[in-house]
Amino acid sequence: MIKVKDLTKVYREGRGIRNISFQVDPGTAFGFLGPNGAGKTTTIRLLMGFLKPDSGRVTINELDCWREKTEVKKIVSYLPGELHFIENLTGLDFLDLIAGMHCDYFRIKKHREYFVNALELDLKVSIRKMSKGMKQKLGIISALMLDASVLILDEPTSGLDPLMQKVFIDLILKEKKKGKTIFMSSHQFAEIEHTCEHVGIIREGKLIAVQSISELREAEYQTFEIEVESEEDAELLKSSELDLTSIQGECYVIRVAGELDRLWLALAQVRVKRFRQRSLELEEAFMDFYR
Amino acid sequence: MNRALFRAMFKEYRKKVAAISTGIILYEGLLTWVYPVIAKNPAVSEVAESMPSTVKTVFGIPENARIDTFEAYISGQFFARIWVMLMALYGIQTANALLAKMVDDGSLALLMSTPVSRSELLSTQTGVLISTNAILVTATIVGLYFGTFCSGIEINYSRYLSLGLLGVAFFSLIEIYSLFFSAWFVEEERALTYAAGLTLAFYGLDIVGGLSDKLFWLKNLSLFQWFQPQEVLEGTTDPTCTIIGLSVASAVLWYLTKNVFETQDLAL
Repeated sequence: MIKVKDLTKVYREGRGIRNISFQVDPGTAFGFLGPNGAGKTTTIRLLMGFLKPDSGRVTINELDCWREKTEVKKIVSYLPGELHFIENLTGLDFLDLIAGMHCDYFRIKKHREYFVNALELDLKVSIRKMSKGMKQKLGIISALMLDASVLILDEPTSGLDPLMQKVFIDLILKEKKKGKTIFMSSHQFAEIEHTCEHVGIIREGKLIAVQSISELREAEYQTFEIEVESEEDAELLKSSELDLTSIQGECYVIRVAGELDRLWLALAQVRVKRFRQRSLELEEAFMDFYR
Repeated sequence: MNRALFRAMFKEYRKKVAAISTGIILYEGLLTWVYPVIAKNPAVSEVAESMPSTVKTVFGIPENARIDTFEAYISGQFFARIWVMLMALYGIQTANALLAKMVDDGSLALLMSTPVSRSELLSTQTGVLISTNAILVTATIVGLYFGTFCSGIEINYSRYLSLGLLGVAFFSLIEIYSLFFSAWFVEEERALTYAAGLTLAFYGLDIVGGLSDKLFWLKNLSLFQWFQPQEVLEGTTDPTCTIIGLSVASAVLWYLTKNVFETQDLAL
């Protein structure tokens, strides 16, 4: 279990996080979303014992992440948001290094072959010659091969092609079935939606919402794209008090929560040239918190 | 110390150490090859004797030292200035690269996500630092043994060994305080600036202190007062106490570095 209680860390320049509290139950996945500079990475650094909290407490399985940081790392796998390696090593050298530093080389080596094959990475290539996507795969393998009970992942699919993103999501779902606890920070709504039960949204250092994915789905808006015939029709539509966003010319996006009666009444008064419903996206519900 | 990390970090630096060692050995080979020619030429001794004391100071030659021996030659041409700066710069740059640079570029993040404590990580990096230092010093001494043997120059082997041990202790201290700056600032540029700045300040004090009697007291402020190769090679100084003192200072400074690093915020 990950427990964060009234956690505060403020840097000299004033940025940071203030009074963050949340909990990640064992065997569940928690998504952590927020714009750039919101405090996601700071929170993760506190979880990993890289930073000392100004106040508050953060524990993983009742172990204090700062005072007992070495013990915490025995049960945690970490994937940083920006991956930097010791460049002269090959992928294999690096994985052997991490396994050796966990003092469980042979077990980890046996376990990693599955992930190497799943992500299709050639480990003999020097890290210096690897592309961003290859380095990301290497980072993912180094995190998953440890078979730790807690996974802390910072933007895990960054740099991966769509196929590998799907492979990654499948791997995470398999890890969840094994009862792992997952904390994942991301900008990709799709990977949060497919893997997490709860999502926390952080903005300007404050946790503004923690919601379950299922609750968010119930509160979802339906979104439509409409093009009307003329400017007069556009003015009529604007006077209807629908949630309207102009795209281009006479094209609009209309968001409707709940029943669609108001939409049909408004559309009955105008000449509609084109009408299309957008795919249901959880992202639309999230964006409310960003605004 | 973590064995897996030591092996990986050592592998990272072995090519560099091999290249520097080769350069040192080749340069020593040149110096030892040239020396017999110089030694036979009386004009060389006259030039050396006519040098003002301030110029001798710049070359690291002690005030009343002999100038007509191989020890004087190799100290002035190599140990007192070139070697000491080369080794000091290597130590400063490597100490910085093993800690502050790895924090700055984020490559320490994955290593610190393992259950290796900060003090164990620091001791491993220190191990890499001191072992590469020892390899370079060993290459220097062995290179000199070989060069003098090939050129038929007679030397007192035990004194060169003593100089080697003094070198390891002296450069270890420079490396440890560089590591301290790395742990304190955890920013590559600042750590490098302070470590290099301090070393150059010591170096400058040593040179300036020898330029005049009135300024001699400045030498007492310099770390380089403890590294006088010609005196060690000629047997006029026993470096044992100095070696012990430098080693104790390194150990104390390392302990301080460990305490700083263990509580430092790392923006990894």
